[in-house]
Amino acid sequence: MLRVEDLHLSFGGIKALQGVNFEAREGEITGVIGPNGAGKTSLFNAISGFYTPDRGRVFFDGDDITALSPDKRAGLGLARTFQNIALFRGMTVLDNIKLGGHTRLNTGVWQALRYFGAAQREELELRREIEERVIDFLEIDHIRKYPITMLSYGLQKRVELGRALAMRPRVLLLDEPVAGMNREETADMARFILDVQEQFGTTILLVEHDMHMVMDICSHIVVLNFGQQIAAGSPAEVSRDPTVIEAYLGAAA
Amino acid sequence: MQFAINGLMSGAIYALIAVGIVSVYKATKVVNFAHGYLIMFGAYFYFTFAVIVPNQPWAPEWLASWNPEWMVEMREGLPMFSPMGAILDWAANVPRILLGLAGALVCNAIVGRIIERVLMRPLMGQSVFAMIMVTVGLISIMSGSAQLIWTADAANVPYIAPNTPIRFELFGSMIFLFGTDLVNMIIALVLFAAIVAFVRFTKGGIAIRATAEDQSTAYSMGISVPKVFSRAWVLASTTGAIAGAILATRNGISPSLGLFGFSVLAIVLMGGLDSYVGVFIAAMTVGVLEAMTQWKMGGNWAEIVPYVAVLVVLIWRPHGLLGQKEVERI
Amino acid sequence: MINANLKSSYAADERVLDNRYKQGFVYGSILLLALFTLFGSDYAILIGSQMGILLIAVVGINVLTGYTGLVSLGHGAFVAIGAYAVTIFNNVATGIIPAGIMPFLSLPFAVFLAAAVGVLVGLPSLRVKGLYLAVATLAANFIVIFLIEEELFAPWTGGMVGLTTNAPNFFGWVLDTKREMFGLIAVLGVLALLAAQNLMRTRVGRAFIAIRDRDYSAEILGISLLRYKLTSFAISAAYCGLAGALFAYFYARILPEQFELALSLQLVAALIVGGLGRTMGPVFGVIVIVLVPELIKITFGAVTGDAAGMAQLRAPLQEIAFGALLVLFLLKEPLGINQIVDRILRAANRWPFARG
Repeated sequence: MLRVEDLHLSFGGIKALQGVNFEAREGEITGVIGPNGAGKTSLFNAISGFYTPDRGRVFFDGDDITALSPDKRAGLGLARTFQNIALFRGMTVLDNIKLGGHTRLNTGVWQALRYFGAAQREELELRREIEERVIDFLEIDHIRKYPITMLSYGLQKRVELGRALAMRPRVLLLDEPVAGMNREETADMARFILDVQEQFGTTILLVEHDMHMVMDICSHIVVLNFGQQIAAGSPAEVSRDPTVIEAYLGAAA
Repeated sequence: MQFAINGLMSGAIYALIAVGIVSVYKATKVVNFAHGYLIMFGAYFYFTFAVIVPNQPWAPEWLASWNPEWMVEMREGLPMFSPMGAILDWAANVPRILLGLAGALVCNAIVGRIIERVLMRPLMGQSVFAMIMVTVGLISIMSGSAQLIWTADAANVPYIAPNTPIRFELFGSMIFLFGTDLVNMIIALVLFAAIVAFVRFTKGGIAIRATAEDQSTAYSMGISVPKVFSRAWVLASTTGAIAGAILATRNGISPSLGLFGFSVLAIVLMGGLDSYVGVFIAAMTVGVLEAMTQWKMGGNWAEIVPYVAVLVVLIWRPHGLLGQKEVERI
Repeated sequence: MINANLKSSYAADERVLDNRYKQGFVYGSILLLALFTLFGSDYAILIGSQMGILLIAVVGINVLTGYTGLVSLGHGAFVAIGAYAVTIFNNVATGIIPAGIMPFLSLPFAVFLAAAVGVLVGLPSLRVKGLYLAVATLAANFIVIFLIEEELFAPWTGGMVGLTTNAPNFFGWVLDTKREMFGLIAVLGVLALLAAQNLMRTRVGRAFIAIRDRDYSAEILGISLLRYKLTSFAISAAYCGLAGALFAYFYARILPEQFELALSLQLVAALIVGGLGRTMGPVFGVIVIVLVPELIKITFGAVTGDAAGMAQLRAPLQEIAFGALLVLFLLKEPLGINQIVDRILRAANRWPFARG
């Protein structure tokens, strides 16, 4: 579904990615792990279009999207969340989630200025869909009118997931969805991620530090270290791989 | 050639004004839209202390016109309009020029400090947008107050340096300029260099640079950020005072001096907000371009040279000639 | 936060005036406006028209600065373009187009021309942000005014001395009194506010706010920065163009100096005082920004008894008051008067239960 081929990325002299190759298979959860500074977020930024790779290509559903701008990629059905929550702080939860529907709506400026008629119909349809498909699903109906700034960190993460879901994504990139959460919030989030995969059949690619969660929910894992892909495979294979153990624990004495 | 020289001379003054905007920006991340009005205040202060005060009845006579014995003697027997005469005229004005400069420096420093304390300090840590808008509000406050305080029309102000005409040949073409313009240029360049050196090499300058880099980290490393802020503002207002005095002698004093600040703002952005070198290059370029335009298309068109130049440069290089691109972390 | 107003459909929940107090406030205001048009004193009508014209422009600035987060210090230029476009169009087309339908062509022309120039001026916004944009627009303002004043174009623009303008003629109904003009301005002003509010509750408006709050996040949701920033510029310039056209209709003469930086700053100041990024912000802001200098004029006249020597002190005082107002709001209530009014309305909605 989503495939990267021989991805190279550097900033000045720093080589953030050096030849990353993997595929996130349709309908599965793929995890990307690696120590701090391994290039995980750079990889995400290259996939979503913020960084242009020096070499290599990104394929979405078989199409080469390496040259597309981020908003075009979003239009194809590529959604993501950010490591340090990137919600729109001046808006309510509801408006944030509604923004996820942006690419599916057609209201133009003229219709918007008039509102009544086509624009209103479309807005109400979006509202209904979001209420039923996102807000109920993520159990955030009690906070829909709250401004983002009033929410706890865990809830903000959930709203950000909601915003991505409102895009009806075919591929969902989650950048550290449970970072900084306590055990209960982590368990909730893991459950939501699994639910998304089951109910909507979304292909999910996630970066995470929480090893337990990654091992539990991912069917396929890619390990990065210093921008290089050092292993890939099922959770069981990866956790036995000596190079992975070395990267995480240091060389055996 | 003549135009290039004229251009470089006004360029140097642009650079001197620009240095105030850049310094404040470097330290506080605020672009001072009212800097032109700070300069206007400097000009008016210079006018006050160099013209109004010496002409008061209670002022000692030597202040208005200094005429010691030896000067009277030297003056005798000089032909009209001789270079020596011009120098002597200037010498007679030296006391009031010094008083004017000192007064402008001190008063402008106070004004700069007040602005920083009353308007900028309460907004510290808040959005930069609010701070910039405060400087926009300051434009009206300052231009209004200037009209209230200095209702009288500005008379001639004494030149800072002897105004002898100088004529020489350069690359086969005749160059003609006034001594005072030359001295102005030198003052502007020396001050510019001094400030750049200050920010580059001294402890105070390093504090400014550290603050520019990361306010909260600088604060936690023991740098008093409020002190850096007020130092930057005082630096800007004092250089503004000198620039104001120079402009007062060149263009006369009027409330429209404040508008000058906007063309300099354009120059600053052209050079890159945080780059002294870039701003210097931009100031010189605009100075020369202006002189060229004046020559080819007439004085009116010269007015918009900085604005056209900044638009062209911004479209080509969004952060100015040598400005640092802000790296966005996602 | 209390949300005490029960709704039973999404349509009801999507309404803008979702409680009785807001409805009362808005419908009451419109009623008052109608009464005012009929019975207001000539002086009040004059002030009201000034406010109305300014309001339309400030609503435009609000779309750009308040919602999209792009700062412009050059919107006076678009007001100028609107004013000059409508007048020049009229002068050129007289005799070709019947007078009675002229405004139906010249007004849209002015609005579209302003929008087109808006897109042009907005181009740097794609590459530069914040400050750089503020200065770029400021530069554009200077250039536009310069071109209007320039002798080369004086045959059309009148150069420094400006142009005499004419009253609009709608199918033979010439709006040649200030009161009739006020009626037109009031209707267009209300429509302008309504259109802006509508914009903000659809996809387009949300995209603007998204760009303001976090542009990269907006991109990831499929919002094209290029398209929406330029759209925002075009809409705000169009509003200013309309304001300019009304300005030209309202006054007998237009001069280039009326559209200089001072106007651009006034627009931004009105927005900040009223409330950035709020629908009613421009309304409150414009009322204050027009009334305060007027009040100063009245009290000043009363105190000094119009002594000749003192009159020249009035303009600087007004200028200072204007700046002080802006600074005061930035320091004390950055969200503007709208925030204060909101607080009161919210308290009224909850009364007698909770406060604050």
